Amino acid sequence: MNFPFLTLIIFIPLVGAIIIALIPRNREREIKWFSVIVSLFPLVLSIVVWVLFKVGGGMQFVDEALWIPTLDVYYRVGVDGISVPMVFLTTLLTTLSLFYSAYTIKVRVKEFFALFLLLEMGMIGVFLALDLVLFYFFWEIGLVPMFLLIGIWGQPKDRPQYSAIKFFLYTLVGSVAMLLAFIGIYLTSGTWNILEIPLVGPLADNPALAVAAFWAIFLAFAIKVPMWPFHTWLPDAHTAAPTAGSVILAGVLLKLGGYGFIRILLPFFPVLFKQFAPFIGIIALISMIYGALVSMAQWDLKRLIAYSSVSHMGFFTLGLVAASATLNTAEPVLNSRAIALDGAVLQMFNHGIITGGLFFLVGVIYERTHTCDLKAFGGLSAKLPVYYGVMLMTALASLGLPGLAGFISEFMVFRGAFAIMPTYAIIGVIAIVLGAAYILWKIIQYIFLGEFSKEKWSAIFDPEHWHFSLDMARFEIVTMVPLLFFMLLVGIYPAPILNVINAASTALLSGLL
Amino acid sequence: MIPLYWWLIVAAALFCIGLYAVLSRKNAIAVLMGIELMLNAVNLNLVAFWRYITPQALTGQVFAIFVITVAAAEAAVGLAIFISVYRMHGSINVEKLDTMRW
Amino acid sequence: MDFFFNLAPLAILVPLLMFAAIILFTHPNNRLSSSLAIGGIAFSTIISWGIVLATILSGEHIWEETWQISIPWLPAGTSVLWIGLEVDSLTAAMLFMVPFVCMLIFIYSQGYMNLGKPNQDPRYSRFFAYISLFAAGMIGLVLSGSLLLLFIFWELMGLCSYLLIGFWSFRDRDTEDHIDEAQVKRARAAALKAFLTTRIGDVLLFSGMVLLWAYTGTLNFSEIFQPEVLEHLAEITIWGLPAATVIALLVFGGAVGKSAQFPLHVWLPDAMEGPTPVSALIHAATMVAAGVYLVARTYPLFVAGSVAGDGSVLAVVAVIGAITAFFGATIGLAQNDIKRVLAYSTISQLGYMMMALGIGAYVAAVFHLLTHAFFKALLFLGSGSVIHGVEHGHHEIAHHSDHHGDDDFNPNDMKTMGGLRHRMPRTFWTYIIGTLALVGWLPFAGFWSKDEILGEAFHLWREGGTFSLPLWVWLAGTLGALITALYMGRQIGLVFWGEPRHGAAEHAHESPHSMTTPLIVLAIFAVIGGLANLPSNVPLVGGELHHFIGEVHEVSEVVHSEALALNAIVAGLSTVLAVGGLIFGWAIYRNYRVGEVEPFQRWLGPVFTLLKNKYYVDELYRAVFIRPTVWLADISFRFDTGVIDYLVNLVGRVTRVVADFGGVFDAKVIDSTLVDGTGKVTNSFGGWLRQTQTGRVQNYVLVIAVTVLLLLGLYLYL
Repeated sequence: MNFPFLTLIIFIPLVGAIIIALIPRNREREIKWFSVIVSLFPLVLSIVVWVLFKVGGGMQFVDEALWIPTLDVYYRVGVDGISVPMVFLTTLLTTLSLFYSAYTIKVRVKEFFALFLLLEMGMIGVFLALDLVLFYFFWEIGLVPMFLLIGIWGQPKDRPQYSAIKFFLYTLVGSVAMLLAFIGIYLTSGTWNILEIPLVGPLADNPALAVAAFWAIFLAFAIKVPMWPFHTWLPDAHTAAPTAGSVILAGVLLKLGGYGFIRILLPFFPVLFKQFAPFIGIIALISMIYGALVSMAQWDLKRLIAYSSVSHMGFFTLGLVAASATLNTAEPVLNSRAIALDGAVLQMFNHGIITGGLFFLVGVIYERTHTCDLKAFGGLSAKLPVYYGVMLMTALASLGLPGLAGFISEFMVFRGAFAIMPTYAIIGVIAIVLGAAYILWKIIQYIFLGEFSKEKWSAIFDPEHWHFSLDMARFEIVTMVPLLFFMLLVGIYPAPILNVINAASTALLSGLL
Repeated sequence: MIPLYWWLIVAAALFCIGLYAVLSRKNAIAVLMGIELMLNAVNLNLVAFWRYITPQALTGQVFAIFVITVAAAEAAVGLAIFISVYRMHGSINVEKLDTMRW
Repeated sequence: MDFFFNLAPLAILVPLLMFAAIILFTHPNNRLSSSLAIGGIAFSTIISWGIVLATILSGEHIWEETWQISIPWLPAGTSVLWIGLEVDSLTAAMLFMVPFVCMLIFIYSQGYMNLGKPNQDPRYSRFFAYISLFAAGMIGLVLSGSLLLLFIFWELMGLCSYLLIGFWSFRDRDTEDHIDEAQVKRARAAALKAFLTTRIGDVLLFSGMVLLWAYTGTLNFSEIFQPEVLEHLAEITIWGLPAATVIALLVFGGAVGKSAQFPLHVWLPDAMEGPTPVSALIHAATMVAAGVYLVARTYPLFVAGSVAGDGSVLAVVAVIGAITAFFGATIGLAQNDIKRVLAYSTISQLGYMMMALGIGAYVAAVFHLLTHAFFKALLFLGSGSVIHGVEHGHHEIAHHSDHHGDDDFNPNDMKTMGGLRHRMPRTFWTYIIGTLALVGWLPFAGFWSKDEILGEAFHLWREGGTFSLPLWVWLAGTLGALITALYMGRQIGLVFWGEPRHGAAEHAHESPHSMTTPLIVLAIFAVIGGLANLPSNVPLVGGELHHFIGEVHEVSEVVHSEALALNAIVAGLSTVLAVGGLIFGWAIYRNYRVGEVEPFQRWLGPVFTLLKNKYYVDELYRAVFIRPTVWLADISFRFDTGVIDYLVNLVGRVTRVVADFGGVFDAKVIDSTLVDGTGKVTNSFGGWLRQTQTGRVQNYVLVIAVTVLLLLGLYLYL
């Protein structure tokens, strides 16, 4: 057996969480920095995995062991080109979040950091699991720490308990349906192996049940993504969650759903997916345009970004639908489909980087003023030029300015969509215009442009709880730099990351049917 | 020869006398003596059955001797317990010894 | 000569690097920052001119074998998308103008931003960073050999435009009083408007680009323009139209947005809120011309789309251009802001270029683009110099008198100027040259380029039939020329002649040399620019540009790359109109007094009001697009909280009610009756039973004896 990279990536955070549980609670400094250091290990390992990863080599670094013999359940993990960027995204954002939280979390430090590491384990596990039961296991594990993060460290005025419970129940409804479908699939195919089930063609002899299973799994992932109309947990959860929680929520948790679509639903039911593609495509369009419109109507910065996530994940869905709207694997259709899927996967990665960054940047003003009300600000670029620069760049990446990350994925999604379903695509571009509108009009204009006045600022600024510089503090800049770097890298030269994704998505699509 | 049932009648009478003593006497030592009587009635039965039914085997006699031995040990242990009880409660009246009651 | 070609990427990278250097490191040092920016653009200019020279010297071959480099950039599906740079003679023609004009404007900006003076702009370094980034974008756009790369630079310029229009869109009320609150608000709105309006066009271009990639598998110009690829595009249909037509229309949508053509022109006049060098650089000379350049660059696509779609695409281009040319000019008649007049003039002139492209005269369009860049930059910089001078005058009177001046003084208002020809002679003379070039007096640059467009239209009309499209184009252009002359006459009359109408104009004085020197250089080009492409019947130098770029694209029956001879009727008519209009406008406005109803208003009445309000297009858009969108956003949000979330919460609430009921059932029925009942029964039974346990040995023995007897009896009985 090879060196168990993936197993280590999954379980080092768990070990870290256990060790933190053993550290006395008054040693806050040690707890904080210990957890940051612990989280570096998975990060470094995920980079190593990326470096050692053979492009186009299928599933790699597979670790396998029998777990529950009576049920034929295996502990089975592996990565391909779609999961590698996701795992990297998770470990990167976790490290940054922990680093950021080391400066900003002041109550119940021990629990926070232990739970955060536990959360990391759950998320990474989902991206790596190759066994349905293991997948489900990690899927559910991630829920609990996030539930507590929102509920305990949430902003008191934003009803954290309500939001936490809403988040939990919403997701649980989907996962229960998903579990039932998984069991049904196991009973007919005789295996939990995610890679083997597509070869068997689950529930092929019972079309009605197959449709039911399809929608059950769809529901679970659609809630997580989230697609319209299952999105309403997201704004509440984001508004209530602490900064690091929002970052992980937007940056990684939403991707679990997207990843599930690509790893499970699409390969398991390609024919059904194709059959329902027009309908799912409409949902994607609604998510894109509706999310953008609702963003435009927000006055709370966090809520605005939350709705923008609905819109941006709609782009992902559009790419996914374009990739699955036909089963034709001849050229040039396969090419278009693969580009659409590349775009979708890259959109997930980019959205993680960009929206994660946006939430960190919301944290910047929130920590200083304890408000996210857009009307309370104005003219900040006169006083906080560095913050303005960083926010502007991140916001522009979010609205898809060429040269920054967001553009590449939108470009590819629409390339695929225009080739396969042009009418959907031409409607979808409206969302791009609306995206520019809410970002420049609401975020940039209300926070940064206009008049800066001392009276207005001193009414919201809270110097007693803020001990760093007025403009972005050094730790905030350090947090943002890796994200800015990736926005630029992906925007200017996307080949390194796309090579990895591309080989996997092409292989995935040509292997369907 | 005396018929078997005569022996049995004597043994039964003896048993009943012993049982009566066990049930009616208040002094624990008397109760113990009643038990001895009942045991001896059983011994009588054992020996009688041996003599009349299986004279060739020794089981009846052996059993009787066994019972006598056990009875001796029982008397010794019983008396020791009574002494200890008497020391604690100042009485060996069995009607008062009901601390085991729930 | 490949030496300069191989340096082409540096022409883009160096200004980009300067942008990064200023933003990250040198911004505290103003002089160093602007020097870096100017050095960077000077370097680009040298390389670009080297490339131009090399192209000219390589003679006829440049359109057969263009210089290209490309790299694999986007691994996509089973293919790889390449991007790269390409230099052909069209690129070279643009490269001659773009970095050079940029450089002049950079130098001018040093003076305009008052380097080293007490009233130096506090965002001085930032300004130079932005314009460096812009220069990189524009040079990159021209050099792009791939539509994708072109789009990237296109959007980069859009960003710079946004940042620079909004350059004064924020301020610290306590420390920055050189900007007033109203200006902040206007700049903020103008920047947003510019970005969003052009974004609409950009999204169309984006769609066209994506479709093009989907159908051809490449975005490199040299590959797309292969005849077989274009034929293939003409054969595929999408939404019932040939793909080439759809793509060309979408690409034209991008050009409409960027080049401020009707109906997306509304952002450009508002964009004048930016610093004046920006207006000259971005909103007159370079960026807005990018739309025209885009159409010229992708012309084979338009031709193919037009042929496949019954001439539709180019007709659309021509009609939009003609409408814009006429319509922009008329609005210019009624504006009071010196820069807004020029802005509408720019819109109108861009319309000329578009209509030239639409009728097939793309060489004429490019020619007009080049000459226009020089003389319009000259006019804008001149207006900047005027504003600068008037502002100084205003400061002076505010300084001398105790009251802090009148706060609603607007230095851009032409009606408060007057008599400036004596106070600002260098500005005056260069401005007059620019005006004559714009209006089209012989022998200034504008005459030759505008006349060529009109001549082509006239020629095609004569060939094409009585009421063919070129007739309308020619009419619109000729009428536009008259109106151009009128509004320019009005402008110079108001600004430079008559008595000063405000104390500020009285105390205005000439701008520094860093500002006037670029004016003089630009003025030279505004005079001699026509030499680049004189009519074909001029010996030796006639039709140079036609020789140079005429065959960049494959010649077909809808493209007229041959140079025309000077047409005496067309040239004579337009000269008469230009001379007459200018003198007329000047004559009636030079003695205008403050407070009077101005002559045009007297004569035109309600039409003038209509023009002054820009045909109410802004109001229309606000009512038709902006309000409904905001309303829709609001409704969506209400729907979200009121319906979707309400349903979600309803499900939660119903579940809770059911749960409450379950709880009551559980407590009352299951728990207290069944569970507790069992316990109670057991308890009472046990209480009764425990009485048998007396703890007395004799009782137990009795029970045993009786039981034995009973069992015995039972045994015997059975």
